[in-house]
Amino acid sequence: MFGEKVIELLKEADRNRETIDQFNDEKIRQIIEEMHVLFKMNMDDANATTENKSLWTTVQVRHSALERNKRCLLAYLYNRMDKIKTLRWEFGSVLPPDVRELLSDTEYDWFSKYSTNLAQYMRSLGEDIGYSGIDLTENLRPPKWLYIEVLCLTDYGKLELEDGDVVMLKKNSRHFLPTSECQTLIRQGVLKQIV
Amino acid sequence: MFIEDIRNDFYNVLLGNRVLLLVHYDVDAICACKILQELFRCDNVSYTLVPVGGLSELKSAYEENNEEVKYVVLVNCGGTVDLVDILQPDEHVVFFVLDSHKPTDICNVYSDGQVRLLYKDEEENIPNFDDIFRDDEDQENEEELEARHGLEALVERRRARKAWEERRHTLMFNYTQFSYYGKPSTSVALELAVRASRCTAAALWCASVAAAAHAALHCRSPARCLLDAEPLHRYVAAAQRKTTDDDVHQAARVVVEKDVWLPLYRWWSVEGAISHAAALAPQLRLHTHSGAARLRQLLADMGFPLQQARQAYRSMDVELRRALLPALEAAAPRQRLPAPARAAFLLQRPHAPTLAALDVVYAIMGLIENESTPRAEGFQHALAALAVGGDGESLQRGVAAARRALEAVARAAHGTLAARAVLLAGPFNYFIVQEGSPEAAALRGPLWLAEAARWVGAAHSHAPRPLLASAPGADGDCLLLGLPPRFDQEPRNLFGAAFEQAATKSGASVSLDFVDSSIISLPVSQRAQFLDALTALLA
Repeated sequence: MFGEKVIELLKEADRNRETIDQFNDEKIRQIIEEMHVLFKMNMDDANATTENKSLWTTVQVRHSALERNKRCLLAYLYNRMDKIKTLRWEFGSVLPPDVRELLSDTEYDWFSKYSTNLAQYMRSLGEDIGYSGIDLTENLRPPKWLYIEVLCLTDYGKLELEDGDVVMLKKNSRHFLPTSECQTLIRQGVLKQIV
Repeated sequence: MFIEDIRNDFYNVLLGNRVLLLVHYDVDAICACKILQELFRCDNVSYTLVPVGGLSELKSAYEENNEEVKYVVLVNCGGTVDLVDILQPDEHVVFFVLDSHKPTDICNVYSDGQVRLLYKDEEENIPNFDDIFRDDEDQENEEELEARHGLEALVERRRARKAWEERRHTLMFNYTQFSYYGKPSTSVALELAVRASRCTAAALWCASVAAAAHAALHCRSPARCLLDAEPLHRYVAAAQRKTTDDDVHQAARVVVEKDVWLPLYRWWSVEGAISHAAALAPQLRLHTHSGAARLRQLLADMGFPLQQARQAYRSMDVELRRALLPALEAAAPRQRLPAPARAAFLLQRPHAPTLAALDVVYAIMGLIENESTPRAEGFQHALAALAVGGDGESLQRGVAAARRALEAVARAAHGTLAARAVLLAGPFNYFIVQEGSPEAAALRGPLWLAEAARWVGAAHSHAPRPLLASAPGADGDCLLLGLPPRFDQEPRNLFGAAFEQAATKSGASVSLDFVDSSIISLPVSQRAQFLDALTALLA
């Protein structure tokens, strides 16, 4: 029946609401083929019967099926677009390779353009005051502490802070530093936050 | 230089700057460090915290971390040595020293602003400046004077100078002869917290643990301990008055109650706690055959069935738990034991069992001097064990380690006493923990070895003599520490100065690295000759 495949596509996408799935290229191709077939049949019938109104209903049905397919496909693509936006806010401008595979090429192009847009916007913030932009994606929730206490897990060496102070990170030394300085090192595993 | 106003001249100076905190490995220092950390956290003072075990570690920690640092705070280390000389700092670096080890080095006292001591101790008899330091300009004046006034003036001047130097020598000798402890550094830190209006239950708890440490480890005589703890009692009472009845069951608070002075009894069985308590067990003479019978007699006098006394405290009968304090108080005099109960600090929390400050003292000792964990890691756990909230995982770890260590201490002491391995040497006794015995691993650190030494010393309380204890350390070295006679009444220790002199005399390669000067380490092979030199010195 017309419109069944597209519903299957939507159901698949609906199963995983939080994260994005692999771009289902195969199914979309099938749906677009179905739409081509319907359109061709419609064209033939529409050209054949200008006076014979009995075929108008079939044309009508096929047209509704076409519209249905179009609407569902657009919904699918729009939903993926939203999820890709959240990917940018979560992962930053470089996607890990296993996430990159889930997007189609055109989706990835869209992602890079969105990234560039966002970066341009962030850079323009605070220009009049003298800041070279604020990174909005750093803290999606307001941080609880301005400074955090960290324990150094490995012999890292010297770390230069923004205001020029140099901190020597040796194993088992504890430091109380501004949160922004420590974030990257915590992600790397060099520092560990102490609650 | 002494600081008069601790808030303005110390704390306000540090605000807005980065601080290097160097902390020694002992219970008092860890508690003081915890209070200072809380204060710095409230006021966003960026700091770097490095634990140090001795003077060489102090030097290396300072050298590694001293870039762009203008303020260094030393807790329980560095007060007894000339800091400027050892660390060779830049001119603008300021050291704040909070050290309970006395006597404070003269150069630190009379430093002109680079080394600042956080409080002035009234008990120290610090010699006057003029009696110790003298200008050397007189050297040049001598020749002028000779020309002017002739020979008599010159001879007179030389005699005066010699008299001054002799007087200086006597003063310095009297001043540095005994090494002792001042009031706990944590009480100074608590005072600072109160002045900065940040005296929370956590700060009070740290101060209680430090006060219990000074009492349990016999750093100060009992009368002095009480005097030191007096401000803490005042603040605890003030905090209690502030809470209304609604708050009482919702927040943790520190209370002072009469409690049995048995370490870790809430985590152990009654019998275990009594047989490992440093205050009671030596008097029971458990190393003799009759010792076990005496213990059973004590339990019978208390009215505790043996089976209950051997069970874990929490599984004991509720009535027996409540009756423990009065029963032990009543039964102790019959066995000629000292009074087992005194006013102790307890932490009452709404959804967790009560904690005694004495237990935390031993738990911290167990964490920093652990057989398996290195002390730097134990230091992090010890800081976590002092937390008032949280799940207490570090504390449980510490308690388990402390139990093992206390058992090892008891075994070592009993072994030494039973084998009569306490040897006489001139004016003092000494005993050696043999390399390879199972207790040697637990007694490697100075805190537990001192506990064992106090045990052995208490067993000889009828004829008190100074006691030395030695235990094998790492790779061919051994630890040697000295305990004064009657350490519970008069804890002033003369072994610090004695060790220094004996080291120069005997020519042994002694390492005077420890902050507490009555503890040294030296190679095992040179121990005998060192002891001979010491005997000759003290005879």
